[in-house]
Amino acid sequence: MKIHWWPWGVLTLVSLVLLSFFVLYPLAVLFGNSVVDDGGGYSLAAFLALARDSEYVQAFKNTLVLGFSVTACTVLVGVPFAYMVARYEFPLKNLVAVLPIMTIVIPEIIVGQSWLLILGNNGLLTNFFADLGIELPSFYGWTGMVFSMTLVYYTYIYLGVLAALRGFDGQLEEAGLSLGTSPLVTKMRVLVPVMLPAVLVNALVVFTLVVGNFALSMLLGSRVPLLSVMTYNTFVSEMGGSPALQSAMSVVSIAIVAVVLFFQKRVVERKVYTMTQGRAPAPVRVRSAAGLLFTLTVGLVILASLLPLVVVFIGAFTETSGPVMRWGSWSLSSLQRALHAAPEPIINSLKFSSIATLVGVSFALLVSYLTIKKRNLFTQALDYIVVLPLTISGTVLGIALVQTFNTGWLVLAGTSGIMVLAYTVRRLPFAVRNASSTLFNIPESIEEASISLGVSPLMTFFKVILPAMRASLISAAILMWVTTISELSASVVVYTGGLETMPITIFRQVDGGRLGLASAYGAALVSVILLPIVVAIKVFRINLFSSK
Amino acid sequence: MASITIDGIVKQFSGQTVLQNLSLHIPDGAFYTLLGPSGCGKTTLLRCIAGFYEPDGGRLLFDKDDVTRVSTHHRDIGMVFQDYALFPDKTAFDNVAYGLRARKVAKPEIARRVGEALERVGLSALAGRYPAQMSGGQRQRVALARALVIRPRVLLMDEPLSNLDAKMRLQMRDVILDLVREAGITTVFVTHDQEEALAMSDRIAIMDRGSIAQLGTPEDLYGTPVNAYVADFIGSANVIPVAARIVDGSGAAPHVRYQLAGHELDGVAGSPRLDDQSVLIARPEDLSLMAPAPHVPNALSGRVLRRQYLGFKTAYRIQLHDGPEIRVELHAGNTVAAFQPGDTVQVLVPADSRVVGA
Repeated sequence: MKIHWWPWGVLTLVSLVLLSFFVLYPLAVLFGNSVVDDGGGYSLAAFLALARDSEYVQAFKNTLVLGFSVTACTVLVGVPFAYMVARYEFPLKNLVAVLPIMTIVIPEIIVGQSWLLILGNNGLLTNFFADLGIELPSFYGWTGMVFSMTLVYYTYIYLGVLAALRGFDGQLEEAGLSLGTSPLVTKMRVLVPVMLPAVLVNALVVFTLVVGNFALSMLLGSRVPLLSVMTYNTFVSEMGGSPALQSAMSVVSIAIVAVVLFFQKRVVERKVYTMTQGRAPAPVRVRSAAGLLFTLTVGLVILASLLPLVVVFIGAFTETSGPVMRWGSWSLSSLQRALHAAPEPIINSLKFSSIATLVGVSFALLVSYLTIKKRNLFTQALDYIVVLPLTISGTVLGIALVQTFNTGWLVLAGTSGIMVLAYTVRRLPFAVRNASSTLFNIPESIEEASISLGVSPLMTFFKVILPAMRASLISAAILMWVTTISELSASVVVYTGGLETMPITIFRQVDGGRLGLASAYGAALVSVILLPIVVAIKVFRINLFSSK
Repeated sequence: MASITIDGIVKQFSGQTVLQNLSLHIPDGAFYTLLGPSGCGKTTLLRCIAGFYEPDGGRLLFDKDDVTRVSTHHRDIGMVFQDYALFPDKTAFDNVAYGLRARKVAKPEIARRVGEALERVGLSALAGRYPAQMSGGQRQRVALARALVIRPRVLLMDEPLSNLDAKMRLQMRDVILDLVREAGITTVFVTHDQEEALAMSDRIAIMDRGSIAQLGTPEDLYGTPVNAYVADFIGSANVIPVAARIVDGSGAAPHVRYQLAGHELDGVAGSPRLDDQSVLIARPEDLSLMAPAPHVPNALSGRVLRRQYLGFKTAYRIQLHDGPEIRVELHAGNTVAAFQPGDTVQVLVPADSRVVGA
């Protein structure tokens, strides 16, 4: 195929250079550092040291155990939940429509923090039960992590299985029944085998997210050693020292995720069945008693998912004295301090997220346009590089960026640039996926129609493609904004004094036991997240989460 | 308005030749159809004319202008797409105005010309509608108005009717013909529907594996197909292998005798040379049936396999004795249309049936 250099060939090369420099190169540096010893020679000393470190081995095991436990719990919650919603009609069912919004939008750090406010050592419920003479088990450690991570991640299973159930041809079950199997046996033999791969695909996603999770592991992990926490701590304590150990740890984390994703691509995704036709059976209305039970179950899950939003505001307005929350007595002092005395984190967050969103969405638009509409060998490469950040946890990405850009001709460490870069790289795969799915649905012929009417290919992009993508670009921008503004794991690694964002400040305040001030920043964070969503839905009438 | 001259165009995709040295001249104002099954190269040829594909060899002229290397947006063409390709975020009015705005036409004139164009396709009332709010037929009319309003030199249509339902398709045929006749614009129309091609075209080019198998008027193609491929594609004739020899090559209709099912029959030669590898082209509607009788010229005996009553006609499948199966269709007015499966019959093959090279 002939490549026309202007304009798409040039833009492809520019994109390729940018991605190589900001994504591939830092990863290469990280991998390189992991096998370089103090003298500058190559050795596997760092990996050997990790293998001999009993705490690290324990952390490795713990991380896998945590991954499996949380994944199992999310499946146990998400699958029945999806089945109820797909197949039954019950009071208040419409409430579940808000679920996907909430889990995407509520920052993990807020979830962890609010459950600490409720069930932590000085929590609302903890105190309540203590007054009654009942001592609740400590929320720190396995209980708190599995509980909060399940609440954060079960929607991945729920949404995936719901989509699969809605795409399932109800006639298949009728065919089973007509061939003489009982309703239960029919479900086991016809529905379950088709659903299983869909469950597994999403379960693997949850697994990788748990393995990479930083905020909840750090806040609630307490004395349970975990890979992400150890990696972070090694980085913090080793700043300026030999980077071999932190690099080796990072490489191990990447390897775990890579293995899982490889398994997902090679084994599981091939088994996913697509149904070209067919209609899901209409939801059945359930009778009074059972309906009440359904409503209660669903209500409970939703309540647990949304509770952080309420609690963080209560916490923000509650009077504190040092680390102690005086529940029931109200005060504006926390908010006053956060908004007035120390508003830098808020300003920083707004600034970094806005720039990252602008850069990220524009670049994602360019890359997806090139990879979908102007395919060639080079755009293929773009396609591969752009999803790489998916295999890297935020912590690891942060370490890679710091190691790469703290020396050399481009020093970004210590500047706003590295914050924006971390945000942009982390969310780029999602932004590209967003833009791509819309571009896929824009037929080639629309561009050709414009060109045939006398408009040049480049102008056609601006006059036809951009307007046709308007809604999806707005929603992509909002999603990128709300996710970057709550980003913690990469930014907490790359930030330096003066660059604190809201999540970083919340993290540090919670870590220091000042839950009141943390809540004040939390309330501000939630507000700036909810505002654009409400505007998008009310003003632009955009269905933000339809592509999900 | 312009004539189109395609001069030895070659187009390859990853080593595979899709158009082989193809030449065709389309006079100014004519309606030409490229007809053929999918994969025959008809859409590729159209897209070469449009400039979406750059040919690997040959030249393309609009009148005397060589446009082979001219980019699409400078070719001044109008194109109508199979999926309409309306801009989803623009109203019918803005869709039609798009090409005029690109040409920097003054605002009042745009309003006037778009209004006229929409009126001509009967959509004045829907100027403010978005594509999603219109039916398939309405969208196709907008697409047509959009292509014509810029008064292009040539109009290119890529299977424009194939996404419409049967009734709307018939209606749109008339709409398209009325509009292009009135504008007197040179039109290239791509379709795989032979009936559409017959009904609409001045000339049809039947394409086969990247070349033109036959170019002619609809009557030419139906009445005097040059080979089995054309005969089979237009009107689905019986195409039966026969051994043939030309008896008298002089005159406009050379006389041929051929062997079929143990009989020697008379026919007309459609190719200059015929041999044992020839084919008889016999349209089912040209054949007739009669009860067995001795000494009937050009008749073959056979047995009725199946009879299908279709209202205006009755279709038979006949197994010829010592020969192949043959399809016969009798018009409803034909009084002998009452043979039953198992009956022995005689099939009459007209003596002007054509025999061509395989």
